[in-house]
Amino acid sequence: MAYPYRHEKETRILSEYFGDPEARTLAGWRERGGYQALEKALGMDRDAVIEEVKNSGLRGRGGAGFPTGVKWSFMPKDDGKPHYLLVNSDESEPGAFKDRELIRWTPHQLIEGALIGAYAIRAQHVYIYMRGEFFEPAQIMARAIEEAYAAGLAGKNILGSGVDIDITLHLGAGAYICGEETALMNSLEGRRGQPRIKPPFPAAVGAFGMPTTINNVETLCSVPHIIKNGAEWYRSFGTEKSPGTKLFNVSGHVVRRGNYELPLGFNLKELIYDVCGGIRDGRKLKAVIPGGSSVPILHADEIDIPLDYESVAKAGSMLGTASVIVMHDGTCILKQVRRIVEFYAHESCGQCTPCREGTEWLARILRRIEAGAGTEEDLDLLLDVGKNMTGTTICVLSDSAAAPVASSIRKFREEYLAHIRHGKCTAAAAA
Amino acid sequence: MANDQTNTVTLTIDGKTVTVPKGTRIIEAAERAGIGIPHYCYHPGLSAPAMCRMCLVEVEGSPKLVPACVTTVADGQVIRTESEKAREARTGVLEFYLVNHPLDCPICDQAGECKLQDYVHQEGRKHGRSIEPKRVFGRDDFGGDILYYGDRCIMCTRCVRFMREIAQDDRLCVVQRGNRSVIDTFFDQGLEGSPWAGNIVDICPVGALVSKDFLHKARAWDLDRTPSICPNCSQGCNIEIHTRDNLVMRLKPRANPEVNSYWMCDYGRHRYEWLNRGAAERDRIETPLVRDAAGELAPVSWQDALVALVDRLKELRGGSPVRAVGSAFHSNEDNGLLARLVAVLGGGEAVYRSAVAAEEVVCPGFPKLARRRDLAANVRGLGIFGFRRVGDEAARGGLEGFAAPGSVLLVLGDDLADQPETFAADAALFVYLGSKLTPAARRADFVLPITSFAEQEGTFTNFEGRVQRFWPALQAAPQARPAWQVLGVILAGLEDAPAPANAAQAFLRLGELYEEFRGLSYEVLGSRGALINEPARLVASVAEVQP
Amino acid sequence: MIRKTEEMKDRGGAGAAGTGGSKVRNPGWAGETGDFGHLTEADIRGTNYVGQRPKDGGHPGASCSMPYQLAEKNPEAPLFEGPYRERLEKILSRYPEKRAALLPTLAMAQEIRGYLSPETMEEVARVLDLSPAYVRGVATFYTMYNKRPVGTYLIQVCTNVCCNLCGADEVLKAFLRETGTELGEVSADGLFTVVEAECLGACGFPTVVQINERYYENVTPEDVPAILESIAGAAVEPTEAGRTGGGAGA
Repeated sequence: MAYPYRHEKETRILSEYFGDPEARTLAGWRERGGYQALEKALGMDRDAVIEEVKNSGLRGRGGAGFPTGVKWSFMPKDDGKPHYLLVNSDESEPGAFKDRELIRWTPHQLIEGALIGAYAIRAQHVYIYMRGEFFEPAQIMARAIEEAYAAGLAGKNILGSGVDIDITLHLGAGAYICGEETALMNSLEGRRGQPRIKPPFPAAVGAFGMPTTINNVETLCSVPHIIKNGAEWYRSFGTEKSPGTKLFNVSGHVVRRGNYELPLGFNLKELIYDVCGGIRDGRKLKAVIPGGSSVPILHADEIDIPLDYESVAKAGSMLGTASVIVMHDGTCILKQVRRIVEFYAHESCGQCTPCREGTEWLARILRRIEAGAGTEEDLDLLLDVGKNMTGTTICVLSDSAAAPVASSIRKFREEYLAHIRHGKCTAAAAA
Repeated sequence: MANDQTNTVTLTIDGKTVTVPKGTRIIEAAERAGIGIPHYCYHPGLSAPAMCRMCLVEVEGSPKLVPACVTTVADGQVIRTESEKAREARTGVLEFYLVNHPLDCPICDQAGECKLQDYVHQEGRKHGRSIEPKRVFGRDDFGGDILYYGDRCIMCTRCVRFMREIAQDDRLCVVQRGNRSVIDTFFDQGLEGSPWAGNIVDICPVGALVSKDFLHKARAWDLDRTPSICPNCSQGCNIEIHTRDNLVMRLKPRANPEVNSYWMCDYGRHRYEWLNRGAAERDRIETPLVRDAAGELAPVSWQDALVALVDRLKELRGGSPVRAVGSAFHSNEDNGLLARLVAVLGGGEAVYRSAVAAEEVVCPGFPKLARRRDLAANVRGLGIFGFRRVGDEAARGGLEGFAAPGSVLLVLGDDLADQPETFAADAALFVYLGSKLTPAARRADFVLPITSFAEQEGTFTNFEGRVQRFWPALQAAPQARPAWQVLGVILAGLEDAPAPANAAQAFLRLGELYEEFRGLSYEVLGSRGALINEPARLVASVAEVQP
Repeated sequence: MIRKTEEMKDRGGAGAAGTGGSKVRNPGWAGETGDFGHLTEADIRGTNYVGQRPKDGGHPGASCSMPYQLAEKNPEAPLFEGPYRERLEKILSRYPEKRAALLPTLAMAQEIRGYLSPETMEEVARVLDLSPAYVRGVATFYTMYNKRPVGTYLIQVCTNVCCNLCGADEVLKAFLRETGTELGEVSADGLFTVVEAECLGACGFPTVVQINERYYENVTPEDVPAILESIAGAAVEPTEAGRTGGGAGA
């Protein structure tokens, strides 16, 4: 059940209780089968939990798609050090709005998943790093944490198992880059949210210098279902390499925007035209960004593809956070790409030179073209600047800013040229 | 291939094979192979954030270029710093540096010693492609001696890390983020009062942080740079003296891991004007002066002066008490030979006066380094030569009645500025080796113009007994001579031994005279110095091992 | 046209519960209700579940999650006294290092005083054993810390791509017009500051506007006068231009 809309083609696992206010409460969550998975996990060997998640093929839902069980298995076993599980709830990628829904409707689903994860990786403390703007979801989360502590689900000796796991909700303060896992660790530690050089990897030296795992909200919300129903059951959804269901957050010019939980491998065209009811205002589709603002843009005629990690990559883009941004033919691509690039310029942490200088340079060139003072050479310059920004920095924010520019010039070159020749947008007006 | 037993790894950089200890970073391994990898944020004395992206190199088998400043070497690694990929990356990164750079090299103090200028010249694009308006930050006074030009800043954060890690006085920060990032202090707090802040000017690879004292004073390419030792305390920081037109323009630290790492304190850094004194005030003693029959000081040639002086000393030798005043701003060679002269004249009392600070100022991030309490370089040396400290903390007083009636008084390098005109009135002979004719010095029978440490070659012995060389940075006044030379000639006249022909010989002479200097020579000292007694100790330890 | 409901007027600071059962298109601008027309604003925002959270932060595990930006603020108020001292102690108890308490402590300081003056940063630095410059470096990295005073209501309009596609530029213009301010400045009556925000993470509900601690979703230019009236009451007279303001994109 998506919120605010539902569709019969959905496979509702994580989102089953969206729109059900009772599911928020601990009592309501328990009535709906909540915390059974935690009890089951606590009765299992820690490594068996990791093995189960590994077998399920669950891949990180934060964008990179790294297998979660494998990530957990990187954590040292008997090093005697404190371990930390960080919940990445810094959802800020333009297009992504799934974690906020998970938190505001089913906070206990996240707590349960986080507790199972913490148990598996031998973490004594879970920090839920939530972006500061999510004040209202944070209040719901805070109340759920209080309920969990009161019910003995968190803190010392959870559910009488002898296992101690604390949960702390930590709010960010306005920085997209803190969604990058090492920047998140820095931010949690009270530093500027700048990504760290890897290696060392978080599983060796993470938050507070200790072994740390960082998982996305949606990833952890999937875990209780896997533990409860088994890896095989989870694998019955989705594709072989991308098993399970995923929340597809669709925004932009579709009739019914919203989150739709679908098995991975669901067709993008079907998502837009069937599940989301097609394009608004009777217009025609122009372009789709399939995985959040940082991935290459797809042309309207490239959308007949399955939405799984491999297929979208094969089509020249990325599934990312499965945040589908739909643009109709009245859209000025240049303006939207410029806006996306301005976002990355605003959010660049400023450490690495190519990103610090390059993001703003791209934005300035795009603004100049938009203002009618562009030349054809500018397009080559944009591509070359983008190329120099790619693969030369500590994290991938720089690459993310370059990707939409390069892909849009490649696919909508005529529109850029029209801007250059006529000094204004003709594409949007003509449609 | 693996050198497990030896704890070293062998790798190839640009075709050169190099063996380095495990854990060495690529940039350091390359340096050992004689390959300089361009870099800004990396500094060997600081942590490495790997953010300037200049040191990206190609490592065979790695899909992405890796930052040489943080990546540790692996055995058998093949690294290319000059491959097309690495070169293209550097050219690309350099262009980003110039997007907002004001290109104000003609009025920038750093021009000529600027790493941005250097690297862009080496491998940058011929023409920048940005035609967009540039971001403007303007200039900020950081207090103390420091000015910050935000527009020139390349955000390497060396300065922030220096203040955090070495000065451990976290007064600098990066304010804002992204392209709006700028270095600042806490609003108006500034860097005033930090004893170490001057180092951030040295480590700034561009002209973002500049010294007010040096502002627009000289172009980098007009400066002569002479290795030396800071004279301003007994730490003995290794420095360079930068001169132009025979004037000291500034002092800069010179790396020595045993003494000062890459740093020096602001106290030492800013006390150099006295070295220019003669030039500015024209009060240097220009020629030897000898008291004539009428009782007036009259200019004479060096030869006449020294012949007359040796004659006088021969007359007085053994019959008069000898008194000597040395100087901790003068070399081992100068003071050592003065002490020898006292001995040759029959022995007597040798003293010095030297300022003492109330407290040591330790560098928190490199505690070996401190502004020591003794505010002159060679206090330890004077101690070895048997000089006794007199006077107060400001190097005044202590000489009242020192020159006993009928004594021979020898003064070296102490200008006696606090002493009355009646100073040493009862002495049988008063010899003054100095550079300034103060009222007390005018009482001397022989006034001999000598060079300052910056005008001669020599050594200082620092607080822990490290003997370190310095080289002549300034041309001496035409008639001034190094004190060791003057004293050497006098001693030759008295002892029938050859006078040392150069400072190296004068230093060897010390080895013959003083146990502590035995086995030391300028060759042994090299550019990093050696501890007193060290050669003797080494010989002893070798003797123990091989009986 | 937006119907004014009682709970809009009643809403106070953090966690004020909307109690009405309004089934308008946007119950309190808390989202497009889609298939869930039966849900109230309180259902969607979870305000009944949350209730009123205590100033001392409640359970230590949740003590770092209080609002940054409230209408009620006093730049002169003491920072670490009474319940706020208790909250600080709870925050400190949750981390192995004191430094980690910096973000929550700055948030608390802003909650009390409305913005982070140099003096406030210094006080925070002192209580956490950090240097003031360090605190400034961190505070300026994050956009949610106000480095200068803002209006009673800080209105952040998302103009990033998903909202932009759906007319965010016009919503931003409407807020500027209705409050009579320039971007980032405080209105003459001290009530409003309007700024452009980057993605607020509610892209399915464009245009998203954050006013102090809460989100308004699916905001169109036409909604703006009523929203302003609902938060600031009679202080604002909606203009004719506002009612007929520019059309949304989609």
